[in-house]
Amino acid sequence: MLITKLKDRETLEALAAGKVFVVNCHGCKEVSFPEKEAAELQKEWLEADKITGVLTTDYICNPDNMKLRLERRRAQIDEANVVLVFSCGVGVQTVAEYLEGKKVCAGCDTYPLPGYQGVTPLDVDCDQCGECYLNLTGGICPITACSKSLVNGQCGGAKNGHCEVDSNMECGWERIYRRLAQIGRLDALKCPVQIRNFATDLNVSKE
Amino acid sequence: MENYTKYRLKEIDELAPFLAETDDIFVVACNKCFKEFESLEEPDCGEFVEMAKGQGKNVTGALKVDFLCNKVQTEKKLKDAIPEGTKSIFVVSCGLGVQTVAELKDLPVYAAANSLNYRGHHGMALTKKACEACAQCYLNMTGGICPIIDCSKSLVNGQCGGAKNGKCEVDSNKDCAWEKIQNRLAQQGRLDELKAMPVQVRDYSKINFELINDYVTSIRESRFAGYYGGVHPSERKELSEKYSLVAFPEPETVVIPLAQHAGAPANPVVAVGDSVKVGQKIGEAAGFISSPIHSSVSGTVIAVEERLHPTRGGTALSVVIKSDGKDTLDPSVKPNKPLEELTPDEIIDIVREAGIVGMGGAGFPTSVKLKPGKPIDAVILNGCECEPLLTADHRVLLEFADSVIYGLRAMLKAVNAPKGIIVIEDNKPDAVELLTAKTADIEDIEVVTARTKYPQGAEKMLIKRVMGRQVPSGGLPADVGCVVGNVSTAKAIADAIRTGMPLVERVVTVTGEKIKKPGNYIVKIGTSIKALVDYCGGTTDEDVIFKSGGPMMGIDLPELDVPVIKATNGVIAIEPDVSQEVACIKCGRCVDVCPMELSPLYFSKYADSENWLGMKEKNVMDCIECRSCEYICSSKIPLVKKIKAGKNMVRGMK
Repeated sequence: MLITKLKDRETLEALAAGKVFVVNCHGCKEVSFPEKEAAELQKEWLEADKITGVLTTDYICNPDNMKLRLERRRAQIDEANVVLVFSCGVGVQTVAEYLEGKKVCAGCDTYPLPGYQGVTPLDVDCDQCGECYLNLTGGICPITACSKSLVNGQCGGAKNGHCEVDSNMECGWERIYRRLAQIGRLDALKCPVQIRNFATDLNVSKE
Repeated sequence: MENYTKYRLKEIDELAPFLAETDDIFVVACNKCFKEFESLEEPDCGEFVEMAKGQGKNVTGALKVDFLCNKVQTEKKLKDAIPEGTKSIFVVSCGLGVQTVAELKDLPVYAAANSLNYRGHHGMALTKKACEACAQCYLNMTGGICPIIDCSKSLVNGQCGGAKNGKCEVDSNKDCAWEKIQNRLAQQGRLDELKAMPVQVRDYSKINFELINDYVTSIRESRFAGYYGGVHPSERKELSEKYSLVAFPEPETVVIPLAQHAGAPANPVVAVGDSVKVGQKIGEAAGFISSPIHSSVSGTVIAVEERLHPTRGGTALSVVIKSDGKDTLDPSVKPNKPLEELTPDEIIDIVREAGIVGMGGAGFPTSVKLKPGKPIDAVILNGCECEPLLTADHRVLLEFADSVIYGLRAMLKAVNAPKGIIVIEDNKPDAVELLTAKTADIEDIEVVTARTKYPQGAEKMLIKRVMGRQVPSGGLPADVGCVVGNVSTAKAIADAIRTGMPLVERVVTVTGEKIKKPGNYIVKIGTSIKALVDYCGGTTDEDVIFKSGGPMMGIDLPELDVPVIKATNGVIAIEPDVSQEVACIKCGRCVDVCPMELSPLYFSKYADSENWLGMKEKNVMDCIECRSCEYICSSKIPLVKKIKAGKNMVRGMK
């Protein structure tokens, strides 16, 4: 669920010294995979006889199925000097863990994602900050709708309702103000000062 | 299995002030995602309702919704759900769900839960691996162990020196990531690389909101183009699309099944020893929904017996004919009157007698479609060929464009429709250009270019895409004034009228990564698929599966010695998939892609517990078995198999 892009050509050429076994993950490609660019590069490498095998599959972050798929290609993997994985960081780590003794490299970088995009690509984001502010802001998120993630109102830098960081973006706090006025809840702005807690719910997944 | 549920109810202390200022509350709760699908009942909704009542508040109602952030579906579900008199909405979900509801409704919307703050975005499967999307993947230098996530301090230049006995000084339960990295690299003999690694500086400046927003917008546009859902599997059509049609060499014998269509199999009208000619009828239609069968060769009938059928899993009565190689035409094969002089009923008779059935794969008798019994205002010709790999229809459009247009005109006349529309996906620009040029002077025929998306060729999707009309649940295209046919079917109709030749041959794509020489062939019905594959040089290796049709809806061919039939649009040889079903993790992607807007995850759950009534209530009968859900399933659940089982049981209920 991460947007990825290919590393630059120079880096990839350097990584692909010797023979390469390629793993492409198309699992989340509905969201985010540079499929064409990767295919073009691999075509060139195939023609140059650099590649021992290409495994194009999906959800390589699922270790159980990845194990089955990699085992079938064991000979091709053994023959290669490096396994180059075109996926997000989760996929690369999964393959690297299973092929512990093998040099496993990432062919892609992930885009930094400010705000989790949810199941469907949406036009609203959630940064999973752990302390939802939406009650005080009319359902517009100050963490993701404000470039500065301010939680106590406007910074004062907006011009004509647009953000000073990104002029294509509306000021999140002006939107919040309008929404609160619309639903008759401007009193919410008079609530006490909010302090953002940056701690993570470390143990959440272990509960 | 890990649990990446995204929210937890806020404490009553935090919620009490918000509850105090309102009353008559409606509760919307998300059924949670990214956790194992164990239960249909998540407790949080009930807990919050109790909490609100405990504060003396009136709750006007509660609604549990799957994947609340799926705006299209949520909008429909919320439409009439909120009773009059409701003053505010409390949403039990992560921030995405709350914001989605807040956008949809004018009432004050409150968050009853906090999203949980995980470090690092995880992948699709519920694993312990995380990725913080730092934009400068370090894994190449660290043996595939992430220093950003696995090191508490996210150090990128080696150990901090604080580890004790290999454990992190910040969290003594955690292994020191840099010791793990050191060990991994030592194991691979790559310690030199570590030493040679230049000092890394982490770049925090790379966030590009604009790019991400543009990306998300473009994804949304393609996802929602024409109709809800659908997928974009790798097309791989370049393997065969450039190869012109070649007439496949005359087969020595043909095996012609009498069941090649939806409905009753034909009754044989020839016996062993009979001489037959090309186009001679060898099977008579056995009912209204049935179709006659004709010989594709001239020669001698050597058997009328049960033979393996390519798509029905088992055998079917077939006529086996040894060809004399002479291709002698049957006297019944002669041109009909020109289209201008034919009446609608005469056209339908010709189509029926020529044994023409839907050639897109379903094999429904075309003559039945052409008698819809309702007024029709558009005949839509499907030239989408949305299945990956297949290029048969593409070649037909390019090489038989005039026949396709002629066939469409015949269909228009047969159903007395004012308009014909040829729909072609934008991955076939040459076909779009050719057909647009050829139809430029024909007033009642239009060519529509559709953005490529699977399953665009499904008739219900096609009607929605082109006409903006929704075929009602359980209904047919004629219910919304449409008749849908395939371009190859139109070509067959043209042949039947102009030359009198019944449907005895068709275009078949033989392709797939494993086929040595892919191509598009004009093949006589009854030709062995094995002969076809051999003619294409066989396969590159033994590790292969064959399918009749495309990779999405094609049917496995465990046995290759089966004949090409009227609905065989392709034979593909691809790599077998070895993945195994694992538990559903409620990732919601099946709901996201289902073009019929169903909830496939329930079909899996209900099939496993044999809850057939539950499947019926979730509208399993509306499923078109396009396999989009199975394709996208991150747990590799064989959904269509379970859906078919459910449909069989539901049919039995009536």
